[in-house]
Amino acid sequence: MQVTGKMVRKGAKAGLEATWELAKVVVPTAVVVAVFRASGMLDSITGFFAPYMSWFGMSGEAALVLFSGYLINLYAAVGSIMALTLSLKDITICAVMLTFCHSLLVELPISKKAGSPLSYIFFVRLGCSLLVGWILGVVLP
Amino acid sequence: MNVLWEGFLRGISGVLQIAAIVIPLMIVLEIAEGNGWLKKVNRYVAKPFRGIGVSEEGVFPLVVAIVFGITYGSGLIINHVRSGQVSAHEAKIIGTFMAIAHALVEDTILFMVVGAPLWLLLLPRLVLAFLASYIVHRRGSAALGQGNDS
Repeated sequence: MQVTGKMVRKGAKAGLEATWELAKVVVPTAVVVAVFRASGMLDSITGFFAPYMSWFGMSGEAALVLFSGYLINLYAAVGSIMALTLSLKDITICAVMLTFCHSLLVELPISKKAGSPLSYIFFVRLGCSLLVGWILGVVLP
Repeated sequence: MNVLWEGFLRGISGVLQIAAIVIPLMIVLEIAEGNGWLKKVNRYVAKPFRGIGVSEEGVFPLVVAIVFGITYGSGLIINHVRSGQVSAHEAKIIGTFMAIAHALVEDTILFMVVGAPLWLLLLPRLVLAFLASYIVHRRGSAALGQGNDS
């Protein structure tokens, strides 16, 4: 095994870049969600989605995490988690659902370039996400 | 103003927690790559993938996608398909697998930081990825007929 200063520097640089990318999304999302919460808008969103989220054993608030992850990316989902006060069950189910299906606006076009039809990948990913979410909602205490 | 500040602080604390893991991890990954460990890992993991119709050539881009993410893996896959090293059928199997399971290192760490359990973040993804790819492999092989199964 060989460890050179160049490897450490290159790794540290990649890590800092990733952290910066993360910060650019996590911090604004957390601020937006905090505003949602203070303005009472979160309550209306939560109330609307609560019946659907209960299919997956989650609270209505978790809908915000799910949508920010599905559409934007996992960093946005983490930002929402940070700004809300969710139960560990909510966080776990959201996290597992989002591992299957996330950043759709960015990743679907990339999958297509790699030779897979868009609708096919979309249904595989969303299908897995909903299936596993439903199972966890039933199974987790 | 108070609300904005609170959201900002919560966001920053999340970023710092993740940075404390991501930066050391990136250094380790860089050392792993510099020592050619990824190629070695590739040899060991090739076996289970053969059962779902992924060849020795196809495993490397797939492993890259599984570890680092779809963006890196896709670039390699596109090259492999263009140069004829990987068939269209195999590209579909790989595409299915990496659509479900990719960037396992980064995604898993992100959610571990906010409290989700490690095994639930990894296991369902790997199991479903193998299952879905296997179905694609079997259906594709049946459609191609005998002798063309590659």
